[in-house]
Amino acid sequence: MLAKLDDVTKLYGKNDGLRDCTLAFPKGEVVGVLGLNGSGKSTMLKLLAGLLFPTAGRVTVFGGAPRANRARIGYLGENDALYTWMKPADAERFMSGLYDDFDAVRYRELLDVLAVPRRKTKAMSKGERGRMRLAMALARDVKLYLLDEPLAGIDLLSREKILTSLVREWHTDEAILLSTHEVAEAESLFDRVLLLREGRVALDASAEALRSEGKSVVAAFREVLS
Amino acid sequence: MRKFMTLLWLEYRRSWVWGAALIGSLAFWAWGLNQVSASDIGEQLGIRAGLLFFAAGLGALVLCFMIGRIRSETRQGQYQILLLTPPTGYVHVAARYLFAFAVAAVYFMGIGGLAWWIVGSTGLVLNAGTVAQLVLVCPFYLLGLVLIPLLSWTLLLMIFVSAYRISGSGWIPGTVMVLGSPFVLNWYGDWLFHISYTLPGWRLFETVRALVESTPWAAEIDTSGVTALVLPQEPLWGMLLLAVVMLVIAGRIWQEVEG
Repeated sequence: MLAKLDDVTKLYGKNDGLRDCTLAFPKGEVVGVLGLNGSGKSTMLKLLAGLLFPTAGRVTVFGGAPRANRARIGYLGENDALYTWMKPADAERFMSGLYDDFDAVRYRELLDVLAVPRRKTKAMSKGERGRMRLAMALARDVKLYLLDEPLAGIDLLSREKILTSLVREWHTDEAILLSTHEVAEAESLFDRVLLLREGRVALDASAEALRSEGKSVVAAFREVLS
Repeated sequence: MRKFMTLLWLEYRRSWVWGAALIGSLAFWAWGLNQVSASDIGEQLGIRAGLLFFAAGLGALVLCFMIGRIRSETRQGQYQILLLTPPTGYVHVAARYLFAFAVAAVYFMGIGGLAWWIVGSTGLVLNAGTVAQLVLVCPFYLLGLVLIPLLSWTLLLMIFVSAYRISGSGWIPGTVMVLGSPFVLNWYGDWLFHISYTLPGWRLFETVRALVESTPWAAEIDTSGVTALVLPQEPLWGMLLLAVVMLVIAGRIWQEVEG
């Protein structure tokens, strides 16, 4: 098991971020973490990344605390937090200097595949920056990728490029947790679907099982969350 | 080591404009000092020394702003990227600190160089030992006594405040620290003052009186009060220790902080 949440609750003051959540994430799955705004998607990914600590319960990644294993987790946050002066070459220096598992050749390939221009991020569009951040995340050789809204605010063609890259780069000994609002576009990618509602898991099902019931992920999303 | 060097490079890329502007400002101060004209040598020295102290104070302020820009990083989320990187909080803090210290060292050595130039412009020719004391020992003594702990304090303050960003209550630790620090410093300073000169002091500028008396204008200057400057060691070591303790706490908070 790559990661586990054992009865995890995360509160922000009196508000629920996540409530009584018990989940396990084995390797070999692309998990769609879906839900409306404020449903707890980002909170779950941040807990797994070690950016947040649970109020109650236990988060385990690679058998230990997330922060202790942070070097083995590929996390792409929801915030576009790149330094404005960074060019793709600077990002390569940054990543290869800090992460032993960063593959510079793979990174450059991804930059080409994702059509990322070689200029400063402040001169890039939101889509270009998003693609560059994804290239930085995917160029690491880790077993657990936590991708928080990599498609948010990105144009259709860029979204297609990102999804194509995710399919291309994924290996069966890895797990990807992908949170997105672009359910229809990403659903073909998912092996498993987690639907969150107000911090609780409303549905945890295999995408294949949904399809065998004649349901699309979008239909399940509407049924459970509406 | 590679990770530390990468963070140092990152710090350079983040802050080189600040560093370059500060060091470049030495040219401005040199120009300003050159513009000072007064018929009386003592008055001229006084104005120039005042300008130099102002330059030192302004430089210290700029350095504090440079090292304390963590809050803008938390707002933009870059702190989040850095928190997830493998190096520990201590390494991040050390890299940030070292860059600021390097800029500070160059700047204050420059200030020391300008002091030497001021003294030289009066016709007084200092020997090599006295120049080294003026350009190296004095700036580093002042750095150790004031700026090194001040930079540590600023870094600790901003990390402490940023640690509470997520709950929106960063102003509470900020206020507590800003209000509490003078009391702690007062108590600590009293203690350092109390133990000063327990160890042998450092004697500086012992030859200055003789040098002044060898100049053509010696008759105009009353050198009876010019004696060697004896600097106590204890305050320097005490403040350096305080700086290290603050950096360790800052690193520990970085370790613990939530994104």
